[in-house]
Amino acid sequence: MADERTPTWEDVARIYGRKIYNFAYRLTGNPDDAADLVQDVLLRVRKGLSSYTPGSFDGWLWRITRNAFLDGVRKRNRRPTSPFPDDDRTLIATSPSPDEVLASVRLSEDIQSALLKLPLDFRECVVLCDVVGLTYEEIAEAIESPVGTVRSRIHRGRKMLRELLTWPV
Amino acid sequence: MARVKSSEGCETAELITAYLDAELRPGELDVIVEHLSECRVCIQEFHRLKEMRAALRTLPYLEIPERLLPDTHPGEQLSAYLDGQLDTAEHDFVISHIDFCTDCRLELHELDSARTAIRSLPGLEPPEFMTIQRERVQKERWSRRRVIAAAVGIAGVAAVGFSLLSPPRPVADLDINPLFDQHQARLSVEYGSNVVPVVAPVELP
Repeated sequence: MADERTPTWEDVARIYGRKIYNFAYRLTGNPDDAADLVQDVLLRVRKGLSSYTPGSFDGWLWRITRNAFLDGVRKRNRRPTSPFPDDDRTLIATSPSPDEVLASVRLSEDIQSALLKLPLDFRECVVLCDVVGLTYEEIAEAIESPVGTVRSRIHRGRKMLRELLTWPV
Repeated sequence: MARVKSSEGCETAELITAYLDAELRPGELDVIVEHLSECRVCIQEFHRLKEMRAALRTLPYLEIPERLLPDTHPGEQLSAYLDGQLDTAEHDFVISHIDFCTDCRLELHELDSARTAIRSLPGLEPPEFMTIQRERVQKERWSRRRVIAAAVGIAGVAAVGFSLLSPPRPVADLDINPLFDQHQARLSVEYGSNVVPVVAPVELP
């Protein structure tokens, strides 16, 4: 998209808003903090688009998103967060049984709790990979680190998550 | 090649994650495949990591609160989307928008139904009376044109023939005396001249 023309901030909000929100929610575990982060990111995008030079738009956007998140963390000075159960209204419409829904919500809560216990470096790489769906290359661009670092963090992050959870293997 | 020792000491553990994500570098696939064929510990690790990755990827994808988005909907872009007339950015926007906006998804469905219904309408023949009427009008129009054309042709031929056959009119036929007399009489009255009409009796001195 960015190679064809520079999008407007409304385009960014419409196309990437939901991804940014999910990234923010999984990183913060809190819908209010996630909403604040989305607003902050969109504000930064709006200001930054005038000086944006066409290139890897995704890399540029996720770098802004990550920086906004880190700034927010610094500002809040690690305000305690608690995992927020996934509200039924926010779930993608499917028709599972009540037991499945309950198990899914519990699993989501467990994973979300475990995510929040990961070191920030690992957490952001895992979320960018598994929630946002970026490649290692794109994540490396977003966090301004080598691809090897990204690979290592994702591996160690997932391994730590697996150890934090208590599923039967 | 960056590798991380697993707790059991294998140096290929990190490759398992890269393998699951299809992010191996050239040459690494052979290494991991060979290792997994002989290391039961890493096979177990492979299953654990695969399970963890799958669980992360099935986390519910949350809706973004509407208040965070610009207050706009695709509107007429929905029809253009159905007709394949959007550029890439617009297309991406519509796809992304209808993914979460129930109203627009419903509107798109209705537009699609209407579009399909219109396009499936049969091509109708006009009613018979209209066909007959049209044929009659065409016939009348043609016959009128033929009559006019024939009349014009006949008139033209007749005019040419008449001009060729009839003798020229003699100039003597044109008697100018009465006109001349009237003219002379008017001049004599208006200006008091002594012009006397030719027909008046002449008095001899």
